[in-house]
Amino acid sequence: MNAVVVSGLGAVGPFGVGAEALAASWRAGGPSACEVDRAAGYHRPGGARRALLAAEVDLAALVPPAQSRRMSPPARLAVAAARLALADAGLAGLEREAHAATGLVVGTAFGPAWVTEQLLSQIFAQGPEAASPALFIESVASAAASQVALGIGARGPSLALTGREASDLLALVDGARLVATGAARRALVIVVDEMSPLLHAVLDRFRALARPEADGREVARPFDLRRSGALASEGAAVLVLERPEDVAERGRRPLVRLAAAARGFDATAPAWDWGAGEGALAAALAGGLRRGGVEPEAIELVVSGAAGTRRGDRLEAGVLRRLFGERLPPIVAPKGSLGAWGGAFVAAATLAASGRAIAGAAEGDVEDPACGVRTAALPPPAPALTLVSSLASGGAAAWVALAVGQPGPGSSV
Amino acid sequence: MSGAAVAVTGLGAVCGFGWGLEPLRHGLAAGHTAIERFDRFDTAGYRTSLAAQAPLPPRGVDAAGGRRATWADRFALAAAHEAMACAGLGATLAGRAAGLFFGGATGGMFESEEYFAAIGAGAGAAVSRLASQQPSGPADAVARALALAGPVTTTAAACASATLALGAALDALRSGEIEIALAGGSDSLCRLTHAGFNALRAIDERPCRPFRVERQGMSIGEGAGVLVLETAEHARRRGARVVGWLAGCGASCDAYHMTSPDPGGEGISRAVAAALADAGVAADAIDFVNLHGTGTAANDAAEAKMLARVFGARARRLPATSTKSLVGHLLGAAGGLEAVATLLGLADGAVHPTAGEGTLDAALGVDLVVGAPRALPMARRALSSNLAFGGANAACVLLHAEAR
Repeated sequence: MNAVVVSGLGAVGPFGVGAEALAASWRAGGPSACEVDRAAGYHRPGGARRALLAAEVDLAALVPPAQSRRMSPPARLAVAAARLALADAGLAGLEREAHAATGLVVGTAFGPAWVTEQLLSQIFAQGPEAASPALFIESVASAAASQVALGIGARGPSLALTGREASDLLALVDGARLVATGAARRALVIVVDEMSPLLHAVLDRFRALARPEADGREVARPFDLRRSGALASEGAAVLVLERPEDVAERGRRPLVRLAAAARGFDATAPAWDWGAGEGALAAALAGGLRRGGVEPEAIELVVSGAAGTRRGDRLEAGVLRRLFGERLPPIVAPKGSLGAWGGAFVAAATLAASGRAIAGAAEGDVEDPACGVRTAALPPPAPALTLVSSLASGGAAAWVALAVGQPGPGSSV
Repeated sequence: MSGAAVAVTGLGAVCGFGWGLEPLRHGLAAGHTAIERFDRFDTAGYRTSLAAQAPLPPRGVDAAGGRRATWADRFALAAAHEAMACAGLGATLAGRAAGLFFGGATGGMFESEEYFAAIGAGAGAAVSRLASQQPSGPADAVARALALAGPVTTTAAACASATLALGAALDALRSGEIEIALAGGSDSLCRLTHAGFNALRAIDERPCRPFRVERQGMSIGEGAGVLVLETAEHARRRGARVVGWLAGCGASCDAYHMTSPDPGGEGISRAVAAALADAGVAADAIDFVNLHGTGTAANDAAEAKMLARVFGARARRLPATSTKSLVGHLLGAAGGLEAVATLLGLADGAVHPTAGEGTLDAALGVDLVVGAPRALPMARRALSSNLAFGGANAACVLLHAEAR
């Protein structure tokens, strides 16, 4: 089994274009939320109205309009982020033949929501024969991978994983599998989601989104007693995974090394919410760390996927407390300012673990005794070992431990 | 470089032939297609009106998963429970080092369409209808029912999904992350795929006719195919009956076109070569192949090119079949059910026939099994392959129980 490192990172979203833009936005408390188009009448009265949207972000320099018009919104975001990630890894401009063994793994919570809605509108309003072939092609969850593959000539394994909020790390673990087993020489892990008005309204009807507060703001407050839901968002992040020797051969240094990975499932979770199976999840996490040779005591930072949902944050806190006991490392929860979907979380985790950027809690917490954890105001700027956690509604879960420095003997995921 | 084979100790299936392995086994042997007019939704206005719809479930299965369960959830639950029983594992995987690796494309799309139609008409609709809407819905439903605590993933790579999921399960078992895996997939008929493939003119107005001169496209099906996989050591330790082996998997991407396969078959050839290498099995040792075999002109031609590339002159006398001709195209679940069908063929020593009217396309050079099962009592190694939208390809090598 090969060791696996992250050699490049690209991100696009409401914060703008590039990982540096994301880092700056994170430090500043996150991008501004926009009003979601509610003209279709999908939204319930009094529910969430805002989201972190990427509609105004200009991707033309990364995805020429002639190509862009044939892509779904997630595919467009993915292609843009992939170009940035390859450049960050020093792989921009590679010949197509050099991507013969490049694999692609998309992680998406919802897939191409807008395209699906348009297709259904055509079928129901105008009849089945009105369904657009072009939209249908883009309606599959793996379309973003296919568009990236076409663009760069990637001919290794190509797939998408859907596991709601855990899609990001499930995809990262699967991308690492491809490189570790030699099924791919390198893998692009593409974490992408869009936030269409219908999807936003449905999430709100499931009570997943933060409610408007007295001052009209909709704020995600991870682990905070006042939390009422997540902040909806969209965007894409792409991580380039390689073997460390391939990165060294180009005279570059990896951002981080994947020191361990774990996956689990909470069978107590209902289909639409988080469960209470913290014991089983903590055991799965501990098992994965053990297989990677990672001691919990060595972890200096936790980048938590807590997004401000009532049950999700409580479960996350319970799992962390079981793993670490009284000695909880500093915790950051980027979804509080960067939103819950669209790759910003996994990009922020990579930035934090690599020492490139980190931000503490944007607002002071009011501790929730049911959680018993607080996010750090001043997290460590250069952690040696970082745990990243994603727990999904419906039960899926995944974690990775990211380390700086070279792998030890036999280290792999 | 090859890796260890993992034991297949349980199988489960739901398809147009019925709920369970026996209807599938009987249907495959009989060779009469389950593709016919269907009534899951009104097909008035659709260009075609044929599909292989699963019959209503037998008593007791209907309530599985609760009232919010989608059709795809029910198929998955029924096939998973059957596979668990076949493996002698009982009704739960609680406390075991176990995972679940599913492929899916549509998940609860049919139920989402009902919701969408209702709100579009200004009528009220319970949002809970969407609770299991995503492709991951069936896998999550099974994981919940079996009290799984290990990895649960859903691969959504269109028609290659379930075979890719088999590969993910194989790697998880080999790596020591788990000792038992359920792998396969589940998908149901829905308006979106029926309209979409019709819009692409990829559906035949008659039951699909793979590798025939007259072929005009695919027919859609629905159902689930689930395998219980175990490390050899785990299966031996608990005295499990081995029904076959998953020896290797491979995957690739054409990077050629969003819908059309690489016409030279180069992409699927690389996936097959990778699966053979992973299994440590030479192409000459393969006894038969269960092709993707959709019946579209381009797909069948690309697969024929693959056979010639990988198997050389032997391709013309290598028995080949298409399960889709009998049960339709299960989309994200296709690779799961086709792996089950392939293992049944190895166990029974016979390759099931490929249904379909018309004349065999001699130009393709495929030794298609037609009319009746072809007896291959000494068959020990078989290949199953899948191609998908966007150029994703996947293949797996399956072995007879006594092949190791």
